[in-house]
Amino acid sequence: MTELKMTEVKTIRYKKPDIVKGYANQTLHINISDAAVSIKPVTKKMKEVFIGGKGFDLWLLWNAVKPDTKWNSPENEICIASGPLGGTPVYPGSGKSIVTTISPTTGSVIDSNVGGYFGPYLKFAGFDALEVQGKASGNVVIFIDGIDEKIQGLETTGLPGNSYETSAVLTKHFGGEKPRTISVVSTGTGAKHTLIGCLNFSWYDSKRKQTRYKQAGRGGIGTVFADKGIKAVVVRWDTVTVNTNNPAEKEALKEVARMHSREIVELDPKQNEMAKIGTTHLVTIMNDHDLLPTNNFKYGRHPEASNLGQEVYRLIFDKGFDGCWMGCTVACSHGVRNFVPLTGPSSGRKVFVDGPEYETIAGCGSNLGIFDPHFVIEMNFYCDTYGLDTISVGTGIAFAMECFETGIINETHTGGLDISFGNRLTALTLVHQMAEGKGFGQVVGQGIRKMKEIFNKEYGADKAVMEDIGMESKGLEFSEYMTKESLAQQGGYGLALKGPQHDEAWLIFLDMVHNFMPTFEKKAEALHWFPMFRTWFSLCGLCKLPWNDIIPEDNKDTPEPAKVMKHVKWYADYFAAVTGRHTDPDDIILMSEAVYNFQRIFNLKMGFGRRSHDKIPYRAVGPVTEDEYESRIKRYDKQLVEQHKVDISGRSTKEKVAILRKLREKQYNKLTDAVYRRRGWTSNGIPSVETVKRLGIDFPEVLDLIESHEG
Amino acid sequence: MVKVGGQNIPWYEKMTVADLLNDINDPYNYVVVRINNKYISRPDFKKTLVPNNCQVFLIPMISGG
Repeated sequence: MTELKMTEVKTIRYKKPDIVKGYANQTLHINISDAAVSIKPVTKKMKEVFIGGKGFDLWLLWNAVKPDTKWNSPENEICIASGPLGGTPVYPGSGKSIVTTISPTTGSVIDSNVGGYFGPYLKFAGFDALEVQGKASGNVVIFIDGIDEKIQGLETTGLPGNSYETSAVLTKHFGGEKPRTISVVSTGTGAKHTLIGCLNFSWYDSKRKQTRYKQAGRGGIGTVFADKGIKAVVVRWDTVTVNTNNPAEKEALKEVARMHSREIVELDPKQNEMAKIGTTHLVTIMNDHDLLPTNNFKYGRHPEASNLGQEVYRLIFDKGFDGCWMGCTVACSHGVRNFVPLTGPSSGRKVFVDGPEYETIAGCGSNLGIFDPHFVIEMNFYCDTYGLDTISVGTGIAFAMECFETGIINETHTGGLDISFGNRLTALTLVHQMAEGKGFGQVVGQGIRKMKEIFNKEYGADKAVMEDIGMESKGLEFSEYMTKESLAQQGGYGLALKGPQHDEAWLIFLDMVHNFMPTFEKKAEALHWFPMFRTWFSLCGLCKLPWNDIIPEDNKDTPEPAKVMKHVKWYADYFAAVTGRHTDPDDIILMSEAVYNFQRIFNLKMGFGRRSHDKIPYRAVGPVTEDEYESRIKRYDKQLVEQHKVDISGRSTKEKVAILRKLREKQYNKLTDAVYRRRGWTSNGIPSVETVKRLGIDFPEVLDLIESHEG
Repeated sequence: MVKVGGQNIPWYEKMTVADLLNDINDPYNYVVVRINNKYISRPDFKKTLVPNNCQVFLIPMISGG
């Protein structure tokens, strides 16, 4: 390996501010084109309206980009922020960073919520948010040193191409004897050669004595990072205690943190055991409910699914504490020790793999028709270290596989590869090709929306069929849940701001099993409050899991069990204890609503954010093909007869597919209307003037935008 | 005996998960229960036998993603 060399381009000294009630009260702007560094104050208004985290990111990005800014325009930024509660070591799930940029696949704003120590360390080093703008010649490392109070731009040579090793090398270089003081953001060669790149955020695992990683996966943020010519952003910070955020009411904070933390310690072993098995329990549960995406979301179950379930990964995961933030009792970030890949540059060498989680298992396993747990680990490893989003990789390859099996594309297009479902070797080959920027892997790495264009224009493929089976909306690949039988979750994906990602609304069980929302209005109500709670976690620097993945034992006896109000009250108390701002549960909704609507209007600014952009492929709504219908013929026939009063006698499957489609598409449209009404949006999906005024986001540019779309 | 939460419930031949939930008079719509380390989903409650001397965890799952 080439020797690591770093050449200082610029160093500036700064005076680290005291953290006051969870805020550093300033943000850092770096333009890497000319190594310009500036520090901006955080205003009172910013805190009131945008709270922090994703809210700050969006405001900073809004002011940096123009409507014609593209993902690879120099003025596009990568914004990273913690939040006022971020960095609290005693409250579970309080170490998240939120990342935003203009996405290469959607063309609009994307956000990702990720673990690791970066966001909290950035704040404690003196900055509530970081904006990185401009483009460098390549191989730039930004070093933010909160201990020595300096910011450096460095030109490097000799850093590895892959992300895992890059972060490990930089942790050693900057951390020396104290590697835990370092967190690194980096990506790999896959991000450079595709549009679906992810970022790895690191933390140092002191017990295992190694760097660990979580991923900001969605929407190609890693691709923007690579395009800017950045190798890594490194932050250095020292000890973290409950005092580091300088909370307004320390004793109140410790008390509420103790209650939530203890509850998780008591209940997680009785419920999903996330501290032992992460989210792998979901695999068999989804399979049992016909919700596990299989063969490009065509089917929802498979007899071999248990090969990918918790009973297997329980045995494979390395034992020990796996929190991606200090003191988190959910501690779900498991990994595999001494894994030996069979392909690629690490073939035959033992590596530690962070993961897999449910999304990677379903995306890179069942959805490809592959039920081999070790194959999924190898996909997980290479996607991460190449800087590729496992969800977009999985859903993208699944689409290509179905196109191959149905003859839309063939071996002349794939470079001779047989990419039919279940082919483990070619799935891995595609990932290696993505990293190298060659072969058919590079085509798949453009994402589904671009693949559809390429297949149509260059291979003459039928556009309508691909629109039905290409599982993307707004340009983002679907995450890994089947939605055919949950209208609410169709809305959860289709009406999400950034595209079909489950972090905004996950309503499948509330809808299908608990039947909490039998009417359009009730579904619309859930599609209002659920995203608001989830948004709030990203404003504050928090993880969503402690809210409703581990449930109080008496929750089912409360008036609103779906909302887990005991936890919501704790979160309101937590916010008040850190910031000193009196907070009731209803305030949480209001805080989120302002930012949520602002993000919708941000989409409008970038040329999106209207009803036509909230469409989803029919595969997410109902059966596209006749064999898909026939695989659940009893269910669909029953629905046509009993629910829709259709006389199906003498009807062919083709006819029944068409009838069901018309009915289901009508339902999705009715749901869309109901949701827009509940959110205070026009029938075209645009927040009304009244709504933006109520929420205090009636800035002149916002009003101008809305007015220009009225009528 | 079957241990459910803090309770000991008498076990009998051919006891299913659905029978057990009925016996403890808990009307909640559980998505899944866990018998020792094995997860049993709602569609399988009626066909899954509960073994004697096991521990059953009732999981009030509402989220997942």
